[in-house]
Amino acid sequence: MTDFIYSSWGALVITLLMQIPFLIIFFSVVNKKAFVDNVAADTPAEKYTSTRYLWIAVVLISFFVINFASVKYMPTFVEANAELSNVKDVDISATSWKFDMSERSFKVGDTVRFLAKSEDTMHSFALYHPDGGLLFTMMLMPGLETASALVHTFDKPGVYMVRCLEYCGVNHHGMRSVITVAEK
Amino acid sequence: MSVANTLIQKAPFFGRMFQMEESDLNPINSWPALMAMTSFVWLTIAAVLGLSMPAIQLFDLGSHWYYQNITLHGAAMAFPFAFQLMVAMSLHRAGACLGKRADGILVALTYILMNVGALLLTVAVLMGFHVTYTVMFPLPVVGVMTGQWSMSALVIGFTGIAFVLLSMILTYPIKILRMSFFEKKHDELQLAERSLKDPGMIGMIMGVLVLLITGLPLLATASPILLHLYGIIPAEWIAWAVKPVVFEFIFYIFAHNLMEAMAIMIVGAVYATLPLCTADGSRRLYSDKIANLALWILLVTSITSFFHHFFTMYPALPSTFAYHGNIMSFATAIGGALTIFTILATIWKHGLVATPAVFLILGGFVMYILDGVTAIVISNVAWNFKLHGTVWAGGHAMSVLIAISMIWMGMLYYHYPLMTNRTINDSTARKCIKYFFLSFIGLFYTFLVAGAAGMPRRNAAWEGDWLIYGAMLGVFGTILIYSFFLYFSSLRNSKALDF
Repeated sequence: MTDFIYSSWGALVITLLMQIPFLIIFFSVVNKKAFVDNVAADTPAEKYTSTRYLWIAVVLISFFVINFASVKYMPTFVEANAELSNVKDVDISATSWKFDMSERSFKVGDTVRFLAKSEDTMHSFALYHPDGGLLFTMMLMPGLETASALVHTFDKPGVYMVRCLEYCGVNHHGMRSVITVAEK
Repeated sequence: MSVANTLIQKAPFFGRMFQMEESDLNPINSWPALMAMTSFVWLTIAAVLGLSMPAIQLFDLGSHWYYQNITLHGAAMAFPFAFQLMVAMSLHRAGACLGKRADGILVALTYILMNVGALLLTVAVLMGFHVTYTVMFPLPVVGVMTGQWSMSALVIGFTGIAFVLLSMILTYPIKILRMSFFEKKHDELQLAERSLKDPGMIGMIMGVLVLLITGLPLLATASPILLHLYGIIPAEWIAWAVKPVVFEFIFYIFAHNLMEAMAIMIVGAVYATLPLCTADGSRRLYSDKIANLALWILLVTSITSFFHHFFTMYPALPSTFAYHGNIMSFATAIGGALTIFTILATIWKHGLVATPAVFLILGGFVMYILDGVTAIVISNVAWNFKLHGTVWAGGHAMSVLIAISMIWMGMLYYHYPLMTNRTINDSTARKCIKYFFLSFIGLFYTFLVAGAAGMPRRNAAWEGDWLIYGAMLGVFGTILIYSFFLYFSSLRNSKALDF
């Protein structure tokens, strides 16, 4: 369940779950007070106060739950939980407009730590699942001593597309590569 | 006749929207009207360029045109359109509420620097300087080294950017601060008295202070680079400034807070205008205290939430800063939640007069909140790794600019009779609002769905399903342009006020 919620499509669902109630309530209030009954309401002051506290409580609880539940998908947590003895380090060097990778072929179940650096301008190393969805992106800022790093475990065989998602010049769209993942 | 009025009189097509007689109110009307008119010229350019991008993809016209137009579109939309319109309306509001002149050297400089700067940047882009409106430093320099564009294009482009930055960071904020705290009051110009404790005024002052304070480090970093490009100072003097990590962080502290400042300003503008449109004539918000609290929360939390632009650098961006950015981004939404409550409680308590001005303002506010949700979602570290760099982020930037602009366009409807002694064409304005909202919803959700599908932003190769999203952007973009046309028509076909 949480795997879906913290995917890109899960982000869309959560976004809609927050937006749709807002839209319904906002338009209902505006419609009522602009067209149906546009006179001053005699709602008691306590009613406004209790509504305000309820509303803020809902917002605070939602935000706490969303962020707390996301912790296990954060890179520090993923890295800490990976069995480091089994992690393959892959060095990536990004230059306009290509990726040099120390290894491009893996097997299902392999846990890989991608360590990426840029040699010239801003780039990114974005890995796409064979079904077309974006698995993750890493921003690569030139001049940094520390490489951007992310741990990922391959769970399906296929051809994974690699793209640069930070605009890097007139052939930005051509900066791509592939990674192949074979059956175990 | 003042310089500003003369320029309006002589402007083809757009000038007719702001024709005004010489009057005692010219000191608060003329320059804001000229700025608003000029911003609409840039909007027209930005809109056509925006629509050209799906067309370039669908008809496979080439990446050169795509990157040129995306750079021009973003720059025109963000700075000489949205920002200049904000300058126009805030100067007018400050003048009329405080009884201060909205003209003089700082206003003229703001206008000249913004528009000449935008023109220079346009020239540079047409010379090949395709860096997008976020500059992507050190790309401008790398582009010269790799033969993507010339050194001349770089120098002209950076000069244009410097002009625009000077107007946004120095001349405009200083003028608003001078009007708020120092300049002489003219009773005959004060049409709707407001104190500086009023939420509408506090929002404006917070906004310009954010621009000034977060912008000065950028000016201090960019100025030596420009001076070196002019050959005035040696390369070793700017070694610190051209380090990507230095420039990018200073740039994003400003760029992020530029958007936040514009957002705080429009929240203040909604607080200022909504009470004037209540049915019971009370001219009051539900609670000034809660409104001010919301503004302070927005201000304090937004400043350091900029770290969310760098989450995906992990571990080069330490996790502490990432989590701080995550929490602060969500905390901005507490300010947003209090704002939603204040707006709805005001409408509920006092009723609403259904004018085009208030509907355009509230429509913009709804867009701002819808967009805010997408902004906090992508500010969660876990989601950010799956959405950053996609059109989800690009759609967020576009949506917040449209939302902000729509609120200022609603404010212009409200101020228009005062500015021109004419009243807008009501039926065209109502039609405009419907198309505006329809096109926004279409564009907004297309961007979100395409972003969730992994479609990259600023990428000239739309493939497979991405072309379908692109076609939808083209359709809704066309409707949005039609709504702009209706907006212009509602001003061009205005009627003289009958006294």
